[in-house]
Amino acid sequence: MKSFFKKTALVAALGATLSFSAMAADLQPLNSDTEPDRIAWSELQTKFGDVPTPKEGLRIGGVSKTLTNEYWRTLGEGYKQYADKYGVFVSYLAAANEDDQLGQLSIAETMLTEGYDAILASPQSDANLQAAFDTAKSKGTPFINVNDAVMPLTEYYVGCVQRDNGVRVAKWFMENTQGGKVAVIEGQPGVYAVKQRTEGFTQTISQDDRFEVVASVPANWSREQAYNAATNILQLTPDLLGFYVNNDGMALGVVEAVKAAGLLGKCWVFGTDGISDAYKSILAGELTGTVDSFPLLTGEVAMEVALRIVGGQDIPRVVATPQALITKDNVAKYQTTDSAKLRETLLAE
Amino acid sequence: MSDMQNNLKSAFSLKFSIRDMGTLIGLVIIFAVFAFLSPVFLTVPNLINIMQQSAINAIVALGMTLVIISAGIDLSVGPVAALAAVICASLMVAGVPVPLAVLGALLCGALYGLFNGVLIAYAGLQPFIVTLGGLSLCRALALIYTGGNPIFGIPASFRSFINGSLFGLPTPIIIAAVVAITLWIVLTKTPLGEYIFAVGGNEEAARVCGVPVAKTKIAVYIISAVLASIAALILVGRLGAADPILGNLWEMNAIAAAAIGGASLMGGKGSIFGTILGAIILGTLINGFTLLNIQSFYQLFATGVIIIVAMLVDRATRGK
Repeated sequence: MKSFFKKTALVAALGATLSFSAMAADLQPLNSDTEPDRIAWSELQTKFGDVPTPKEGLRIGGVSKTLTNEYWRTLGEGYKQYADKYGVFVSYLAAANEDDQLGQLSIAETMLTEGYDAILASPQSDANLQAAFDTAKSKGTPFINVNDAVMPLTEYYVGCVQRDNGVRVAKWFMENTQGGKVAVIEGQPGVYAVKQRTEGFTQTISQDDRFEVVASVPANWSREQAYNAATNILQLTPDLLGFYVNNDGMALGVVEAVKAAGLLGKCWVFGTDGISDAYKSILAGELTGTVDSFPLLTGEVAMEVALRIVGGQDIPRVVATPQALITKDNVAKYQTTDSAKLRETLLAE
Repeated sequence: MSDMQNNLKSAFSLKFSIRDMGTLIGLVIIFAVFAFLSPVFLTVPNLINIMQQSAINAIVALGMTLVIISAGIDLSVGPVAALAAVICASLMVAGVPVPLAVLGALLCGALYGLFNGVLIAYAGLQPFIVTLGGLSLCRALALIYTGGNPIFGIPASFRSFINGSLFGLPTPIIIAAVVAITLWIVLTKTPLGEYIFAVGGNEEAARVCGVPVAKTKIAVYIISAVLASIAALILVGRLGAADPILGNLWEMNAIAAAAIGGASLMGGKGSIFGTILGAIILGTLINGFTLLNIQSFYQLFATGVIIIVAMLVDRATRGK
């Protein structure tokens, strides 16, 4: 009787979301922003104690999204930095470009065949590493989804709260300006992070009557497309108060458009990610701010989670990594390559 | 006419076997290097891995080979695959029986191939431009149809078929083998095969000899689109989802495999065996570089070197 109820509840829950295949019946499709089985990165040490000492010759495979973007290169450095402390070997590879979904799958599968002890993967799309995930599961190799695209059936996810990126920028506008027209430049349509960041901003700022979102257009992560989109928006709306842009590369394109329109200092521009060029631009007084998700620290946290899981600890499904809104006022505090210092700064908040 | 065809055929098959031997030697050298550097490389699971990973590209490249032999090119394979994938997936999710959904996807691919072929053969448009248009058109259709979101919920029966195996070989390898054997028979044992070589070798001479040039062209584009659709279905089964952005750059990988295998973009030259070897070489590179923990930028570099070396070998052995 009891199991009947369990089954009915499960079937109803699954039916309510999406009709997933039978092999998926044990896990709900993940929404990493709202999943209740979660923990903040700062709580790992207090709740689970020290990282279990890894066995000799432990090897972790990192499957990167792309190495042509500073964010993902830095994330890999975080993996290595943390693994080095424990003498763990890390391989960090990516397909030749961000669109090579089969290439990325091949890398993940080859790593599994070679017998890595755990995989840290940042999938190019929500679906493209599913086959590798299935293989990992059948081999009993932990497979950890790190940031950005979210595999619906993943057992572990390490990354920031995507929605929060947009929310933080919206709150800055509400606290620091008198209100006005704002616009959003979005990344690739159909990507989870894009939807969450954009909605976080739009929904938060729309609660305040002083603001109006006049445009929200995709620029596919391209600096050039972002520049063109911003130019068009500024032509239509010269009195625009500011932009929220889904990543820093595009935000720097928008800054150029604002400069070209002679509106620097009148139109605020916020990016997302916290790449080094964004910091430089903030210091130069051009980019207003960025929501830094600290790729180096995120990489360290992801590696820590991997070592804890391999060591047998029962880690929650989602581990949330740090984020902070960086502007001219606090940029000095966060601009450091010393991750220990950065940890202290963030924990002190 | 049949004399000419026989001459053509015997001349080609002789040269091909030499050329194929060259590709095979290339593959053996690459294998030897990786086997020397990585103890895992020559294990059975890894070799099956390589074949499985090469299978999708091989199937697309085989279709591309026929198009290239006919002196054409098909840049639309990736987006056509994406369109077939989302159509098949949405049919299956809607409850249509799996075989019907598969047929629907293949039919959709065939129709698009027909569209390409008619524009090229009857409207006289250049294959490069027609299929470049198709590249945008089909990608757009797939994105519009899905709203940009991947379709999940592929039935377990379809997934377990694709992820299953026969005699220890994964289904994708079996499908690629069946496709290769079928096309080899078509190319070497049927009139259509002779027509394809004739049209690519010298279109005017073929027309004078009574080869149905237009129908032959249409046939190769239909075959190419259908094979792209088959490749897409394999990927859908493996990924458990149909992504509208699936198939990006498939055309480039397929052309690379065909070229390494000895197909000439001038038409009239190309072989099934060579293309299969070409696809395996490309699959081996990504596998071997991963095993050796070498960044994919170098794999891209190696691919470039191999394509150019293959072309130089071509030139030298053909003495032109």
